[in-house]
Amino acid sequence: MIVAILMPFLIAMCIPFISKFKHRIHTGYAVLATSLSIFLYFLVLLISGETDILYRYSWIPSLGLDLTFYTDGLALFFALLISGIGALVAFYSIFYLSREERLGSFYVYLLLFMGAMLGIVTSDNIYALYTFWELTSVSSFLLISFWFTRKASTDGALKSMLITFLGGFSLLGGLVLLHLVTGSTSIREIVTQGDLILANDWFPLIVVLLLLAACTKSAQFPFHIWLPDAMEAPTPVSAYLHSATMVKAGLFLLLRFTPVFRESEAFFIAVSIIGLVTLFWGSYMAVKQTDLKGILAYSTISQLGMIMAMIGYGTEAAIFAAIFHILNHATFKGSLFMAVGIIDHETGTRNIQKLGGLWKLMPVTGIISILASFSMAGVPLPILNGFYSKEEFFTSSWNLSGDRAFGSDFAALLANIVPYAAVAGSIFTFVYSMYFYFRTFTGKAEKTTAEKAHDPKLGMLAAPVLLVSGVLLISIFPNWFSRHLLQPAANAVYGEAMKEHTIHFWHGFVPALIMSLIVVVLGILFYSTRKYWMGLYNILPGKLSGNIVYTSLLSASENQTKKLNDRIVSGSIRQYNAIIISVISIVTLLVLFGTNSFDLSNIDTSPVSLPQSLPELAVALIMIAAAFGSTVSQKKLTAVIILGVVGYGLSILFVLFRAPDLALTQLSIETITVVLFLLCFRHLPEMKQERKEKTSKKITNIIIASLCGLMMMLVGLAAYSQRLFPAISDYFVKYSYKLGGGDNIVNVILVDFRGLDTLFEITVLAIAALGIYSLIKLRQKGGDR
Amino acid sequence: MTNLAILPILIPFLAGILLAFTHNRIQLTRRLAMVFALIHLIAMGFLLFKVLLDGSIVLEAGDWIAPYGIILVLDPLSTLLVLTSSIILLAVVWYAPASVSEEQEGFYFYTFVFLLVTGVSGAFVTGDLFNLFVFFEVLLMASYALITHGGKKVQLRESIKYVLINLFSSMLFVTAVSYIYAVLGTVNMAQLAERAAATDQPGIITTVAILLFFVFATKGAAFPLYYWMPHSYIVPNPVVSALFGALLTKVGVYSLIRTFTLIFHQQPEIIDQLFLWVGNLTMLFGVIGALASRNIKLIVAYNIIPAIGFMLVGIGIFNHDGLSGSIYYLLQDMIVKAALFLLAGTIAAVAGTADINKMGGMIRSHPVLGWMFFLAGLVLAGVPPFSGFIGKLLLVRGAFEKGETVTVIIMLLTSLLILLSIVRAFIRIFWGEGETATQQTRHSTRRLIPVGFLMLFTVFLGVGAEAILPTVQQIADYLLNPQEYIDLVLKGGR
Amino acid sequence: MEIIMIVLAGILFGFAVYNILQKQLLRIIIGTALLSHAAHLFILTMGKLKRGAAPILTEGTENYTDPLPQALILTSIVISFGVTSLLLVLAYRAVKTNGTDNMEELRGNEHD
Repeated sequence: MIVAILMPFLIAMCIPFISKFKHRIHTGYAVLATSLSIFLYFLVLLISGETDILYRYSWIPSLGLDLTFYTDGLALFFALLISGIGALVAFYSIFYLSREERLGSFYVYLLLFMGAMLGIVTSDNIYALYTFWELTSVSSFLLISFWFTRKASTDGALKSMLITFLGGFSLLGGLVLLHLVTGSTSIREIVTQGDLILANDWFPLIVVLLLLAACTKSAQFPFHIWLPDAMEAPTPVSAYLHSATMVKAGLFLLLRFTPVFRESEAFFIAVSIIGLVTLFWGSYMAVKQTDLKGILAYSTISQLGMIMAMIGYGTEAAIFAAIFHILNHATFKGSLFMAVGIIDHETGTRNIQKLGGLWKLMPVTGIISILASFSMAGVPLPILNGFYSKEEFFTSSWNLSGDRAFGSDFAALLANIVPYAAVAGSIFTFVYSMYFYFRTFTGKAEKTTAEKAHDPKLGMLAAPVLLVSGVLLISIFPNWFSRHLLQPAANAVYGEAMKEHTIHFWHGFVPALIMSLIVVVLGILFYSTRKYWMGLYNILPGKLSGNIVYTSLLSASENQTKKLNDRIVSGSIRQYNAIIISVISIVTLLVLFGTNSFDLSNIDTSPVSLPQSLPELAVALIMIAAAFGSTVSQKKLTAVIILGVVGYGLSILFVLFRAPDLALTQLSIETITVVLFLLCFRHLPEMKQERKEKTSKKITNIIIASLCGLMMMLVGLAAYSQRLFPAISDYFVKYSYKLGGGDNIVNVILVDFRGLDTLFEITVLAIAALGIYSLIKLRQKGGDR
Repeated sequence: MTNLAILPILIPFLAGILLAFTHNRIQLTRRLAMVFALIHLIAMGFLLFKVLLDGSIVLEAGDWIAPYGIILVLDPLSTLLVLTSSIILLAVVWYAPASVSEEQEGFYFYTFVFLLVTGVSGAFVTGDLFNLFVFFEVLLMASYALITHGGKKVQLRESIKYVLINLFSSMLFVTAVSYIYAVLGTVNMAQLAERAAATDQPGIITTVAILLFFVFATKGAAFPLYYWMPHSYIVPNPVVSALFGALLTKVGVYSLIRTFTLIFHQQPEIIDQLFLWVGNLTMLFGVIGALASRNIKLIVAYNIIPAIGFMLVGIGIFNHDGLSGSIYYLLQDMIVKAALFLLAGTIAAVAGTADINKMGGMIRSHPVLGWMFFLAGLVLAGVPPFSGFIGKLLLVRGAFEKGETVTVIIMLLTSLLILLSIVRAFIRIFWGEGETATQQTRHSTRRLIPVGFLMLFTVFLGVGAEAILPTVQQIADYLLNPQEYIDLVLKGGR
Repeated sequence: MEIIMIVLAGILFGFAVYNILQKQLLRIIIGTALLSHAAHLFILTMGKLKRGAAPILTEGTENYTDPLPQALILTSIVISFGVTSLLLVLAYRAVKTNGTDNMEELRGNEHD
């Protein structure tokens, strides 16, 4: 089990070595072998009926992250899909990608993706699931931008990455909440606690976050916009990631948590509406496309919407139908993508307006396409699996209001509207399927294409032929698939065994068949008259495209942020200081008064009495005057000397306040500083007082300065007067001589009690000296940029 | 054995002094620097081992008992941090010869680097608030020397701003320490904690704490005090930028974690909200700056800020998950930021420009560089299973436990925008048509080895998180219960 | 007396900030010098003023002025001196190299 899931990663590590020999043997064969053996492994599991295998490895238990893999019906179903389609795609890519391409990178990404996808569907641990989930986004990003010199590729890759990571990060949020609510990181345990989760206050947020994840990954409206752009990827990638597997991860996520969500009406309302809107919008937009892959991309969106809607219904029939359609969609859409790849490869264009009449030139491709696209359209023929699942879709929509009880009026009303919406949404599906097939294969062949186009080598045809045979096989033996594959998956989703489903082509004239017929009739009508209503696209979407929102957001993220940031980080030190100082002052003042801490009731001051205090007062006044003087002085010399007065004033204060050591130090250092000032500024321009300074700026400066001074003063007063504990300095007085061996307490503190401070104070001076030395001596022009 | 606690300071200190004497002999200096960095790394690894095994080490400097003398504390938190900084020191010294000019190397370059690390280590291990100020000054002075080192025009311009802002906050720092001394009568952190917890007048303590918060937040480049940081960090040599980006802002964050869990958490209703909101805004504004930049070095420099935001938010959440998240984020961010700065420096050196719009297609000639950068971007955005994810997951969980939904949303959105800023740069630099005329640079592969060394650690901190995470979670519990630290330092007595 | 000194230090702080907010480099540096004076005065005052003899042990004296703040100031003075000298030289070099002492002209842009 662990081997099967980790095998892609292991092989991926070997690919760079294997790809060295790519000219002798195409690297794709290694990938083919890998995916085929994984497929066979899971097939054996399926046939042997050995489900619910568990493998556990403790990875980061402190985080609740362990690697627990298990295979229930759903995991097995998806694992087979991933490895099976993976094998076909690998095989197809061998013929699609020439050996001149960077095969090594391509297959590394592809294997990373495959491993990650297998990890998603088999993980029991939510954080492991999340890890694999993000890994699929990363590998998808790398695959879309495989041709990294094309701007369209890298743009598309960025877009898909941003949107899927938006979902990814919200998935993280949702999963963390589930962990917190249930106290478990095991999905199997979480889903048994549905009631607890539903009753929790976090439930709405959980739904929103998980839905965001599912909708971005599965390209639901309005997040679908990344999928068409992802078509820049090589076609095998589109077939694999962007139609068969990765985009189903969102659906898988919701299916996994269906036992929790199916009871919630809000979930029903949200998911059904999103699904139906996407169904309609995707199919509607598909008809407008001219690029074959564009049509298929929108078609995928629309089909995903349909499956999403069924998950929203939450009834047994709907869940079963959803799983059935996931399988069918993989077969017909996969083969269509491969067919488009062949057409592109042979004719050199995917533009539907330049194509036509290919039927005669490439009959095999034509057969593949007609079967697949008619299946997609849901044409009522017993050999088209698309019809079967579409019938199931209509049936479940029609029966919804009967199968499920609704609490709110809105939900009940919605359940009644659903069948009509389902039909309306499906009409365009029919239209684009016809459009796809007939515009490409019938009509007149273009001259340019006619010359070279023909069916490709057998190898390239093999994969789509196999997939289309899947379409036929499923249609012929639907109940075999149902019993062995779909039913176990549906049971696993539902959390309990549901009644057995049998699939029939003919049910009699039941509502579903009538709905199908309406779709066919209206579809033909719309298709044949499409010339007349194509103008509709100018009105809708017209300018309302989600792409416009995306583009403007993206450009805003570059340009608007720059405008904003340039204003904040302007490079002006004055502005920085102004903001920093005002913020500090204001917030501190707010806290000072907010906590009622400006309390001077216990203030203990030494008395001020004239004339004893006269010296202190006089010095204080002189210092203020000097500070003022140096601030307004016009001459640099004067300013510096007056500044010296403040310093000398301070040393006198030190003397008066009985700090002789300080006074000495301050005196000498002040002198040196003044000398330094004079030395450095001898050559510098003269002070120009308030050069061109606006009065408003001056006033702001004064306000900020007073605010800051005031703040320091008030906090100082408050701190001074609230002396909550005795100072520790008695110890120094007591032991200075006894233990420190010195009379001068300050000195003993400096060299002994707090010697470490002094050592590093000297270090600071030494660094300053070296720094100044290199500043003066070392003058480089270039150096390393 | 308590004397071991001086090692984190002593080794780089002695190395710095010794290297000052060999500065004329560049080859020797380089080799010695490597040897010392290696010794430091090994010693710190040993210390961590010892601390985890035998418990924290407390050194009373000069044998003066706490709280009167200066105390050095090697508890798991400080030891982990000194170990992480020794990893960065090694990578930086390893990378330096490829990027720093010989002329610069001759001008005490390595001395400054080692003394910077001395200051940083000192700030991590000291248990004394004023001594913290002194070590701050040591690391700042060394950083002043390094930021101006080389004396280019832009360097001089930006370093003035850098010095001025830091000078203001230093002065605020000493003043705030004196206010605290007035209120609580001591500067020993353990005793401060003990006394602060015992008082019924928390208001004044909180007020003074706010001043200290701003001091540390300025060093840590939090909103709205970060303006000085991005431009000044990119002007010196990339090696210096890496050192700054990895260590300096983080010392600010560390000091916040230490003092606000230990001493100043008396009025959580104010303090927690302050941390949360400053953190939220820091994330948003930081990432805006990153998105706005076209200069690869500047993009990396701005990306420091949202990471600081994450850590601040974790402190504001103030529960087990929040604090473990903050600490884990701190550890891994130090390493990944160092790697990113070195990568950005390499890119700019190879391309001959730092403007991402002038680059393109470089993946063809520099695939290893490109993928390392991409990987670092994923780490930064917190994509699993890399190290950024571990911290982010813990923070998200902690925030939800506390009911801070807004913070979670901002965190997740910020992650997305970080990803955008890095991936956009990656696409422009490494993909696209054409190829930037790459310059013949000295030892371009030699540059990548130390970066690879750092990248290994980031990957390890993600995939092998289990090796460190339990320790980090213990640290979080230990921070939530200050009494343990107090008993450790004051020996329960007195 | 302490109140007066705190007010004085606050006023000095205000002048310092006002100077720091100027455009001209010399003014800013004058501001920083004033700032350190103000800070040191604050520290001294926080240890109470004039409550005893100077902290030099002498026979028969019981009360001494709190010595710890003095020790802290001493450390701080020396450090400030280091920073100020570096800043002065830096300013000198910056003004010479950039050709202006007006900080508003030293904003710079993204790519240099």
